[in-house]
Amino acid sequence: MATIDFKNVQKRYGQFKAIHDFNLHVGEGELCVFVGPSGCGKSTILKMLAGLEETTSGSIEIGGRDVTDLGPGKRDIAMVFQNYALYPHMSVRSNIGFGLKMRGVPKADIDKAVNEAAEILELTDYLDRRPRALSGGQRQRVALGRAIVREPSAFLMDEPLSNLDAKLRTQTRSEIVKLQKRLGVTTIYVTHDQVEALTMATRIVVMRGGVIQQVGSPDELFSQPANLFVAGFIGSPGMNFFRGPVEIENGKAFTRFGEQRIPLGQVPQKLTAKEAIFGIRPEHLQVGETGVPVTLSLVESLGTEKILHFATPKGQETDAIETEIVSDEDARDKKTMLARVIDDRRYHDGETIRIALPEGKVHIFDTVTHEAIV
Amino acid sequence: MIDFSSPKHRSKFGYMLLAPAVILMALIIIYPILLSVDISLQDVRIARVGGTQAPWTTKNYDWLINSEEFWNSIWVTARMVFFVGGTSLVIGLATALLVNQKFKGRALARLFVALPWAVPEVVATVIWAWMLDSSFGVINWLLLKAGFISEAIQFGSNATAAFFAVCFVMIWKGYPLVSIMLLAGLQSIPAEQYQAAKVDGASVWQRFFYVTLPNLAPVIGVTMVMTTLWVFRDFSIIYVLTQGGPIGATTTLSMLTFEQAFSFFRMGQGAAVGVVTMIICAIISRALVGRFAKSVH
Repeated sequence: MATIDFKNVQKRYGQFKAIHDFNLHVGEGELCVFVGPSGCGKSTILKMLAGLEETTSGSIEIGGRDVTDLGPGKRDIAMVFQNYALYPHMSVRSNIGFGLKMRGVPKADIDKAVNEAAEILELTDYLDRRPRALSGGQRQRVALGRAIVREPSAFLMDEPLSNLDAKLRTQTRSEIVKLQKRLGVTTIYVTHDQVEALTMATRIVVMRGGVIQQVGSPDELFSQPANLFVAGFIGSPGMNFFRGPVEIENGKAFTRFGEQRIPLGQVPQKLTAKEAIFGIRPEHLQVGETGVPVTLSLVESLGTEKILHFATPKGQETDAIETEIVSDEDARDKKTMLARVIDDRRYHDGETIRIALPEGKVHIFDTVTHEAIV
Repeated sequence: MIDFSSPKHRSKFGYMLLAPAVILMALIIIYPILLSVDISLQDVRIARVGGTQAPWTTKNYDWLINSEEFWNSIWVTARMVFFVGGTSLVIGLATALLVNQKFKGRALARLFVALPWAVPEVVATVIWAWMLDSSFGVINWLLLKAGFISEAIQFGSNATAAFFAVCFVMIWKGYPLVSIMLLAGLQSIPAEQYQAAKVDGASVWQRFFYVTLPNLAPVIGVTMVMTTLWVFRDFSIIYVLTQGGPIGATTTLSMLTFEQAFSFFRMGQGAAVGVVTMIICAIISRALVGRFAKSVH
């Protein structure tokens, strides 16, 4: 168990700056998830931590020890790869014990450690099989076994679930969290899937273009996104955005959504512009008797949960920031807003309903910097 | 009219498409094999296809088993396969590992590695024959100048020198194929396996033994089969350099086949040597392919 510190870490490939000034402290026993769209540098920073990529400048410390220039084998870490990276010609037993063998641990001790790890991961019956004869989930567990058997000071996981099917992914996700809690080993977990990040992490680092966008607990990221990118990236479906005027009256702020005036509560200190981008999560929109009348263009039903699609009021679309919001959903139409409701009412396409935006749930962002205004 | 798109008849259509190729293969591969087996069972000096057939006899095979020449050529072939195969593998693997690294001029280096393979065999051998010549060859001149030898090596009349000269040219000609095949094999090893081994603390040599070699094993197997078969049946290098001499030192099975059939005009005996060579090759390739394939699957 150990802390992990990144101090002004940078990575360049020739002229291209992959990681800009990365500073982060990961506490002992934390499960810290790096999340971001592909190409955001999250895997690069993990490989730099593992010693598989050179660090251009800055320093990396594991447990207070500067490891910036140490080889991967000398950093006391274990890594789980996306494609498992099992050795196909070795049995499960040899795969799990490989790291210990390389360190010259006596055979009896290796056997004991491998058996223990296999028991934790329910692999005992498969120890003499080759990886080829295992299912995807079992292979993933072998990869985990290879990591835990060495009792390293940190686990590094590089999208370990992306090769599994949806059901197995959910199951393995919770198994990893339980295992991590049980062993208490500091873990860095990289994923592009914000759902994985929200469900697993004790702390999330949202990255984009090699720059940290926000660091915080899942709750913080969800309720207080630091900027438009984080707001749009975290949550499923992501946050709705619309452009609106800022009106101030008696110390209270208001905006307009269609014909309706929306109260925003106390005027935030930094709110000085005449216009802003407003955001509201699909689950915070309320369907009721009052509110703005909207016509549903599409209703997606997931049983009790429904996703209602309707057009953003005319003139309030946020086309200008379209490129800003990258989420793992398919390119979302920025002229459409979504409401997520859980009730027994039946909705159908073309129906007109009333939507209310409750006070305190509307986020305000600067139109230029895209930073949250609080 | 049969509708070949229907699932019921689809396989028939497949067979129909295959038929020309299968018939052609049968004609150009199976027929000569059967013909040589047929000739090997006849006591003939000059075989005539379509003429009157001599009665079948095992006389040629009796000669084979009792002939010193045959056992000598098996011994020569075995040594040559072992030496050429082994050395080509080592050089081929070394060059493959080298040109698999990232460095400036890698494309050019890969071209040079493959170059000997692209030169026609006879042309290359004639050039080597010149270079190895005992009175005006550059090799002897270099060795003399460097002081390694005091008098020119007689590559034509010294049995050991002739054997190694043949092996040397075969390796020179044969290692590029090994190198190209192994390079392809190296490129198919996932980078993550090396990364995982590095994180596990494996040194360069340990990564070579535990990751590179096992992953390459199937390719090495296939390559060794190809090299072995090539040495077994190669004719032009030996013929141009030594004609199988001196006193049988470089007479491999294929040289013996040629000698018996076309120098001494005992086609029955030549065919018998050919048939035995074929059987040995079939057994070796089956054994090697089976063993290396099994080591992974």
